[in-house]
This record gives sequence, C-alpha cells and structure tokens, in this order.
Amino acid sequence: MSALVLDNGAYSAKIGYARDGVSIIPNCQFRSKTSRLKTFTANQLDEIKDPSGLFYILPFQKGYLVNWDVQRKVWDHLFGKEMFKVDFADTSIVITEPYFNFSSIQESMNEILFEEYQFQAALRINAGSLSAHRYFHENSSELCCIVVDSGFSFTHIVPYCRGRKMKDGICRINVGGKLLTNHLKEIISYRQLHVMDETHVINQVKEDVCYVSQDFFKDVETAQLKGEENTVMRDYVLPDFSAIKKGFCKPREEMNFTGKYKTSEQILRLNNERFAVPEMLFHPSDIGIQEMGIPEALVNSIKNMPEEMQPHFFKNIVLTGGNALFPGFRERVYHEVRALTPTEFQVSVILPQNPICYPWEGGKLLSENPDFEEMVVTREDYEENGHFICEEKFDI
Amino acid sequence: MVEKKVSMRSQDPNQRRVLDSATRQRRLTRQLEALEKDNFQDDPHASLPQLAKRLPQFDESNEPNEQGKRRKKTRGDHFKLRFRKNFQALLEEEDLSVSEGPNYLTACAEPSKFPQRHFCAVCGFPSHYTCVSCGARYCCVRCLGTHHETRCLKWTV
Ligand SMILES: Nc1ncnc2c1ncn2[C@@H]1O[C@H](COP(=O)(O)OP(=O)(O)O)[C@@H](O)[C@H]1O
Ligand SMILES: [Mg+2]
Ligand SMILES: [Zn+2]
Ligand SMILES: [Zn+2]
Repeated sequence: MSALVLDNGAYSAKIGYARDGVSIIPNCQFRSKTSRLKTFTANQLDEIKDPSGLFYILPFQKGYLVNWDVQRKVWDHLFGKEMFKVDFADTSIVITEPYFNFSSIQESMNEILFEEYQFQAALRINAGSLSAHRYFHENSSELCCIVVDSGFSFTHIVPYCRGRKMKDGICRINVGGKLLTNHLKEIISYRQLHVMDETHVINQVKEDVCYVSQDFFKDVETAQLKGEENTVMRDYVLPDFSAIKKGFCKPREEMNFTGKYKTSEQILRLNNERFAVPEMLFHPSDIGIQEMGIPEALVNSIKNMPEEMQPHFFKNIVLTGGNALFPGFRERVYHEVRALTPTEFQVSVILPQNPICYPWEGGKLLSENPDFEEMVVTREDYEENGHFICEEKFDI
Repeated sequence: MVEKKVSMRSQDPNQRRVLDSATRQRRLTRQLEALEKDNFQDDPHASLPQLAKRLPQFDESNEPNEQGKRRKKTRGDHFKLRFRKNFQALLEEEDLSVSEGPNYLTACAEPSKFPQRHFCAVCGFPSHYTCVSCGARYCCVRCLGTHHETRCLKWTV
C-alpha cells in the first residue's frame, strides 16, 4: 500500500509519494499562440518554447475548484503513465481542499476520488492542517500554532490548538499571488509597456524583483531619489525566448541611470513597484480592498481565542505558501505583530525552509502516522456509507 | 513649478463632468474584478473555429454526444451539471445566510483599523490630492495632467 500526498493548490499541485519526495507541478492547462493545435497540461508547460502571451485555463476560481474538466485533465496527467503511474487499488491519497469548501465541491471530490479513480482510501484535509501537523511534529512541546497560508488565491490565518483547528479564528484576506501579479501587470502596462497578456512573464518578474519593505515610507523616499542614489530601482531584462530564455535584473554596475540602453534588449524599469506590490498583503486597502493586512489579522484572530491560549499563538506563528518567499516577508510580519502585541508576550515568527511544500511534508508525516488508517475513508467505507462517512471523518 | 501646464478650467468642477459616488464605486469594483481575471487576451484557439471543435472545450456546455465520442464515459458524467457551476453559483447554493457558526462569508477579514493610505494613480507615490472629476488620487500637477489625458473621464474600464 502506498500513500500519495497531493496538496492541490490553485496555482500548483505539490505532489509525490510519501516515500519519495515532492514535485511542484502547475495545476492548470495552457494554450500558446505558437502551437495552435494543442492544449498543454500541467508540466507540459516545459514543452512550450515561446510562452509569451501564454493563455491559462485554471480549474480554480477564487480559490475554489469549479472547473472539473480541467482538474480531471490535470489529474489524469499526474496520476497517469507520464508521471506518477498510480496503482489506484493499492494507493491511499491525502488531498487538500480550501477552508470552508462548499459542500457540493466536497461531494464531487468524493465521487471523483472513489468512483472515478477508485483510490483504495482517501483523506481530505486543509493544507493548513497539514502544516500544523508538520509544525507540531517538529515542535512537540508547543501547544498551539497559528498558520498563515498565503498562496495564489488568498491568504488564510488559522489557529490550531494541538491537532484541533480553531474555526472561530479562521480569517481570510482576499489577497494572494494572483492578485499581486495582475496588479503588477496593470501598473507596468499603464506606466511603461503593455504586458497585460504576459501573466507568465510578469509573474516571474514579480518573483525576481519584488520584496517586502521593512520601512515603507523610507523606501518611498529612496525610490524618489535620482540616479545612483536610488538604490531601489532595478532594470529587468525581459526574456525574448530565443537569445534570452529567462528574464533577469541588470547587474547594478551595468545599469544606465541617465539614458537609454544601446542594446536591443527589452527592459522594464522597476522602482516603487518592487515593494508597493507585496505591500497589498500588509495593506489591502491601498488598492481599495477594505480588509486587514496579515499582521493586523493575525493579532485580531489571536484575540478571538481563549485568553490562556493567546501567548502560545504569539510565539508560534508559522508562515507558509508562495508569498512567504518574498524577501523581508518574515521580518515584516514579526515587526508589525511585535508592535501590536503587549510586551509581556513573546512573539516568534517561523519561516520554514520550504514554505510552499510545508503542507506536503505534513501530509507525508501524517501518512506515516500509526493513526493514519483510522483517519482515512476507504473505498469500501464510501461504497457502504456514501458522502455521510466522509462528512463524519474529514474536517474541512 | 509646472503649474502653468494645467489650465484652471480643467480643474474647475463647474466645467468638468463630475462622476457621482455610485459610478466611482462601480469603477473600483470593476478594477478589483479585473485583478481576478485569468487572462486578458483571447484564447488563441478561439480564432480557429473548425479546429477548436475537435479540442476539449472548457467554458461552453458541450453537446453530450460530441463529448461521448471523444472521451470514455465515466461514472461521474451524470453529475455534469453540478460540475459546471461557477464560484458565484456555488456560493449562493451554500446559502450561508442560514448557516450557523463560522463560514466562508464570516471568515473574511474585517476592515483595517489603521487609516487609509493614498497613492497617486499615475506614479504610485504617496498622494495628497484628489481628482475632482473622478476621485482618483494624484501627487502633482504633472501626474494630474497624465491622469486627465489617459484615464479620468476617458476611462471606461
Ligand atoms: N519566490 C517567490 N516570491 C514570491 N512569490 C512567489 C515565489 N514563488 C512562488 N510565488 C507565488 O506563490 C503563489 C503560489 O503559492 P502556493 O502556496 O503554491 O499557492 P497555491 O497553494 O494556492 O497553489 C504564486 O502566486 C506564485 O507567484
Ligand atoms: Mg496552497
Ligand atoms: Zn504621481
Ligand atoms: Zn480623474
């Protein structure tokens, strides 16, 4: 019997057998204007030589699985002979779902896993619960932790007390990596170059040059300086997908502060965009989303917890999801939470080695847990009891 | 400094159309909705109608027999209808207004207690002024000029 762990994110699937390792695969399909006969699925993205103007077909909308045709195509590909060669009759799957997943999506999930693919057993769970499991596994003396999961569609803040998800403390900020990339696309297109069709390229720009400011108004001042004094400014060489396969920042010593470059490279000049874009995670109201930012929401969520637990949450803040990779993210969360918290409380913010795969690692540990057998629903159980048994056992 | 570039007339609320607050709110909503979009360009297959027919369709509802030929019939197929709902439809179907305890709607972060910050709609730096016509923020006369020429009342998005 093998365990397959699938953290089924709206942007990428983090997937692998528990005994092996994890792979990060795009959880979507693509169409390219250069190959007009084919729809590419998941990691077939690598076959597209010129991904400019790449067209995305995503299974998720606002973080919830709505397009099952696309999701099945991706899963067929992942489970099939090209990739994981799943022997369904001999495999248990651990699969993640968003918080407060709609009941009809949950039922569709049961049907597809048990009736269509016919997995031997399944455990459906929130990615944050896997992260909490991973955290308590390594920090067995801690009683509580509060998980920040900042991914593609949104950011969740979820307190866990031991194994228990504290539902009253769950908070969702409607800012995720997708919004950041689209916002960056929008402001670049307005200020310098039309890139609205270049989600793939600009997403890479975001990951390469954006950072979380430690002192927003100081960085604003620096970005207003002229010439070499402006240490925020970067010139990003866009890929042309022939000579330049991947975009990159011009080394500082090659930057031309005064005029245009003589080379034919296409350059984006990034200045306040570098920190103003990730700033949305800390001040969503900057673009008109009237919601708290991450540190304020963390403190607010902890304040809703029983008083005796609160100190335990403040010292176990765990950052997960792709946005946690922005340079400066952890430090900023720490400083703001520290400033909003009474001094007698210890504040500690943990950024795992791999914040994207942290839930997957938790799923792996869970599948190796002696209690795992009790936690799953087997196909037999499902065939006998239907959705009911899944509702009983799974905590979504 | 560059004050002379902008004529007094263009700043006079009596001369320029002024958008009402409902229109301003609609604009903001549309801008935020645009940030949720998966693509801004057209599907590269859409311009090939003949070809597209033979390829998997995603958003349109397929003719069942056309689908049946291409893909082996799976047990889930009779749930088709449920498999085709968009986010809004699913949310309404959940009917959270009657549900007890925390749910998707109640979990949304509250408004921040910190004061709103304002940034120039043109250059992104902090702004101290508001466009009289549309309510957009700007930081200097130059940015206001750009704003009038490019967006403001011209902007339909
Ligand atoms: N190094 C990075 N810096 C900033 N953002 C990143 C980085 N790597 C990935 N991301 C962003 O993280 C998001 C995906 O995070 P992930 O937690 O895998 O999301 P999901 O689970 O929703 O699929 C994407 O928007 C991606 O652009
Ligand atoms: Mg995720
Ligand atoms: Zn300005
Ligand atoms: Zn205006």
